[in-house]
Amino acid sequence: MPGAPSSSWISFLAAFGAGGLLTLMILFNGTLAMHGSLFFSSWVPHLTGTFAALGLLLVLRPPRAASVRPPLWAYLGGVSGAVTVMLTSAAMNTALALSGTIALGLAGQVLFSLFADMRGFLGLPQRNPTRRDFISILLIMAGSLIIIFYGGVT
Amino acid sequence: MLGFIAMAVIAGMLVGLSRQINGRLALSTSAMESSFWNHIVGLVFITAVALMTGGLFAGDPWAAPWWAWLGGPIGVIFIAAGSWLIPRIGAARTAMLIIAGQMVSGVVLDLVMGAPGSGIARAAGVALIFAGLWIARTDENA
Repeated sequence: MPGAPSSSWISFLAAFGAGGLLTLMILFNGTLAMHGSLFFSSWVPHLTGTFAALGLLLVLRPPRAASVRPPLWAYLGGVSGAVTVMLTSAAMNTALALSGTIALGLAGQVLFSLFADMRGFLGLPQRNPTRRDFISILLIMAGSLIIIFYGGVT
Repeated sequence: MLGFIAMAVIAGMLVGLSRQINGRLALSTSAMESSFWNHIVGLVFITAVALMTGGLFAGDPWAAPWWAWLGGPIGVIFIAAGSWLIPRIGAARTAMLIIAGQMVSGVVLDLVMGAPGSGIARAAGVALIFAGLWIARTDENA
């Protein structure tokens, strides 16, 4: 691929690898939830994560990208993430079950991200998905749905 | 039923919203700092809700195996990765690639742990996902 920045390979692998981390997180936090309350299984990783992130910040000292202060709402991503856990746990104990909840969640996530890209939502770069993006999304969603409903992934 | 369907879809949208907000914070600070704020703000929020509803320490969480406690640091890297990726490759590609990685690693984990399930369905699903990755990877606008 002439002209393609080599960094795109790194992004590609990083995102795919992050998906692997997510599987481990779900396994660890889910195991915690089997013994303790659902709140506890979300509270503990937030608590230990706060200290882990603080430690990493002190060691790595990443430079600030901009001297201008970000808007206050930009600090509220954690609220959205915490509400996700609560909604998911409430939905999966219904007729939707875990499979249906995961599948609908993936659909919501993909639709939101397409909308966010097209609008440049919340100040991130605007970009229009290409035809290949849509084909790629359809294939990955189809594969995911087969695994969720027929492959026995829990 | 429609209400539960909406709840599950909104939960997924909030995953995207969270990544978008954290990505915006990383644009002004850094990916790791956005991950720190995500965790401490989430911690305060969960603590407040748990204090209102009670039952935070219900059950017997101390009986959980030691490795079940390690989700936090992994989440720190996961959130930082999302914040780093989203301004670079966009929200849709970030979501799509994370989902692909989650599904393929989930199948690997199920195989390792000997979880029951259809081998044919797993193989077909992984093949479709890799086909999707291949198409995304050969995109000239990537």
